Amino acid sequence: MSLAVIIVKDLRLLLRDRVALIFMSLAPIVVISVAGFSLASLYGSDPTGLTAYDLPIVDEDGGELARQITEQLATEKSVRVRRVESRAEAERLVASKAAGSALVIPAGTADALAAGRPARVLLYTDPVKYLERLNVRLRVLQARDALADAERARVADTLERQRESLRADLERLAAAIRDARAELDAARRESGELSARTTRAFDAEAARLRKDVEAQIDAQLRTLSTRLESTFAARVEELRAPARDYLDALAQTRRDFEKWFADLQRLAARRADQIPPPPMLPEPPPELVSALEGAPPRIELPARLEIRIEPRAPRAIAAPSLPDIDLAVPNLEVPELPPPGTALGVEEVAVGGGGATTINTFDQNVPGFSVTFLMLGMLLGVSLGLLDEHEWGTFDRIRALPVPARNVLIGKLLSRFVVGTAQMIALFAVGYVLFRVSLGPQPWALLLPIGGIVFAGTAFGLIIAGLARSRDAVLPLGAIVIVSMAAIGGCWWPIDLEPRWMRTVALAFPTTWAMEAFNDLMIRLRGVEATFKPTAVLVAYGLAYLVIGLALFRRRVARR
Amino acid sequence: MLAQGYRRIAARALCLRRVTASPAISVSRLVADRERRPVLEEISFDVAPGEIVGLLGPNGAGKTTTLGVLSTLLPYRTGDVRIAGHDLRTEKRAVRAAIGRVPQEIAVYPRLSARENAVFFARLSGLRGAAARRAAAGALEQVGLAQRADEAASTYSGGMQRRLNLACGLLGTPQVVLLDEPTVGVDPQSLERIGAALRAHAARGAALLYSTHHMKEAEQLCDRVVLIDHGRVIALGTPREIVARLGLGLSADVVTEAPLPEGWLDGLDGARVLEAHEGGDDDAGWVVRVSLAEHGLAARVLQRAETHGAVREFHVQRPSLHDAFLALTGRAIRD
Repeated sequence: MSLAVIIVKDLRLLLRDRVALIFMSLAPIVVISVAGFSLASLYGSDPTGLTAYDLPIVDEDGGELARQITEQLATEKSVRVRRVESRAEAERLVASKAAGSALVIPAGTADALAAGRPARVLLYTDPVKYLERLNVRLRVLQARDALADAERARVADTLERQRESLRADLERLAAAIRDARAELDAARRESGELSARTTRAFDAEAARLRKDVEAQIDAQLRTLSTRLESTFAARVEELRAPARDYLDALAQTRRDFEKWFADLQRLAARRADQIPPPPMLPEPPPELVSALEGAPPRIELPARLEIRIEPRAPRAIAAPSLPDIDLAVPNLEVPELPPPGTALGVEEVAVGGGGATTINTFDQNVPGFSVTFLMLGMLLGVSLGLLDEHEWGTFDRIRALPVPARNVLIGKLLSRFVVGTAQMIALFAVGYVLFRVSLGPQPWALLLPIGGIVFAGTAFGLIIAGLARSRDAVLPLGAIVIVSMAAIGGCWWPIDLEPRWMRTVALAFPTTWAMEAFNDLMIRLRGVEATFKPTAVLVAYGLAYLVIGLALFRRRVARR
Repeated sequence: MLAQGYRRIAARALCLRRVTASPAISVSRLVADRERRPVLEEISFDVAPGEIVGLLGPNGAGKTTTLGVLSTLLPYRTGDVRIAGHDLRTEKRAVRAAIGRVPQEIAVYPRLSARENAVFFARLSGLRGAAARRAAAGALEQVGLAQRADEAASTYSGGMQRRLNLACGLLGTPQVVLLDEPTVGVDPQSLERIGAALRAHAARGAALLYSTHHMKEAEQLCDRVVLIDHGRVIALGTPREIVARLGLGLSADVVTEAPLPEGWLDGLDGARVLEAHEGGDDDAGWVVRVSLAEHGLAARVLQRAETHGAVREFHVQRPSLHDAFLALTGRAIRD
């Protein structure tokens, strides 16, 4: 309860402190505006166009290209294009410091390019105006690249249209080929069918003819056979009768001889063994005997005559022989040829969040100076607030009340934390409304580093309150530290402008980590995860400051 | 006369209470150091409920340290201190709940109104909501700030700020009120109002320990005084008791246009020059203090002075607490 009472009291005190309120709200907005417009050159542009450089342009070429270059540059918010009549006038403007740079498009530039010859534009510059020179040169180069890109895009578009036309022609050709192929296939089918029909008819006729011829031959053969058989039988009989008589006579003779020989042997009696055996008459061969006994053999005609009748197929009905045509659809892919004149370009890719490659100057200045004024506000709010309590005697008065003394401190720190957080949110809101700063893809994620830096700043105010012996000591002591922290930590300018050793030193400051988180969210357009590490570091710094601050403050109170 | 009679009756009542009631503040052999230097060396005194005790002493005597110790703000080495019955060393929280502290500086928030200040301290004293607001309103009424309670304290005159400072110490009717020179720089009207508020508070039974350099104020307001010097109690009692104890007599102040010549009082027995100095303001003349053995010498001293110079004023006074203070602490200037 007492804590809430103390917090409300501190908030009330702050609301009644006009100087502090102005310091917390109006002062940072003024400084952000001044710094944002003043330092816009560091980033190339601001969204309002108020910091644009004057860029005189001399168009000696007078052609379409020069007009396009001028129009392209006119769209850039960082330059204010102004046509002048001559080189001399452009030189005079640069020499008189009325402009930091001037662009001359010499005569014949467009013709040279059209003819494929190299061409140059001239940029008069004032070497003293280094940043302006760099920025204008960059814009001119960007304009050149943009025009080249546009031209390449136009050529590529023309080529693409031609490719599309070619693709359409090829599509039509492919369709025609497909139709022809279908017709050819149909002709082939019809031809095949016709050939088959013809063959079948021819074969049928040939079979019928073959059968008829065979029948006639068979009939004539049978007649001839019958006649041959009768003739043959008669002739055989004519031959068989004498043969049979001869064989009979031969058989009678053998029997007579055997009888005679038997009589001889008997007559020879004792000498019969000495009679040599008589020669034996041969037996008639059995084939001759059987041939003379059976019927004469029949003359066998072949059962079926092998008659080959090969009629020659008529030429007129032969199936047409179609040529072997490959009607496959050709590859319709038209090669993607690079457009003529394609050059090596440089594409900037914002790494990490897909953000823009150029930034609004206030994306740096709003968080930077908000953090600066937050830290100063915390310094004044916490340390001067506690010193005020001491000087007014209210701190001791509260200590003598039945309230834990730490509540006085905690209440003041909490109230300052609330006020600091509100201050940061308000300044970011003002930056969003007035200067169109980016709040990143997750604006709520800004609350994490805001909470971290407010905590660290609040606790740091306690350290200053513990170190400074009086109000007079607070501002020099605190301001030196806070200003150094803010400057080195990248609150006033991009930390990358600092040398490496200084960037290493900057890691010891909470401002550095806060700015890293804000840059990640607002410029690099990263998600909330990018804030985890910086916020953790800020909280760690805050805790360390708190421990040191409490120790210093206790020592200080004990000394009273 | 009526008021004086009333005060005498009240004083007797308080003496009776002092005898019968246990002290609201009891300090016994208190020893305290500041920056390793002894500041209080075994001081002892007590304050009864309803009593107003003046804590007197020259600069650096140890008054503020005494009040700081009793307020729990400063440590002490040894001694026994009890506030409203609570031991100061072991019951700090209870002691804090029992005391009201009116510091020497105007310990209020200048950007807050008197009411906001009073409500804030009332709530920290343990009062809640409406009770805190009622207590704040009552305290402001008591010190005469009710009409301008909603104005920022920074817009107040010095006297009003002093009264606000007092009101913030009287919130919640504390049993013990510790006041450290609460009337520095206030006008008589505010002084009167503050005195009335303190008496009213004491009348309700609170014990008040009141540090001041104004002896006359202490004489008028305090029932008793504790006079400390060099960290020791050198006198304790009612103002009258202390003066009487020192045996101080009548004195006369002679204010003249020019310094009186040396030896102007020679030959006048019973009269002796105590001191002579130039008046404080421009054209304030020259002041000579003369001790008088008896009241009848006053006319003769005046006559003698007029024969040596132009006398502007002539005052005869009884011995006061102021005289006793100087007698006890000396006239050397303290830093």
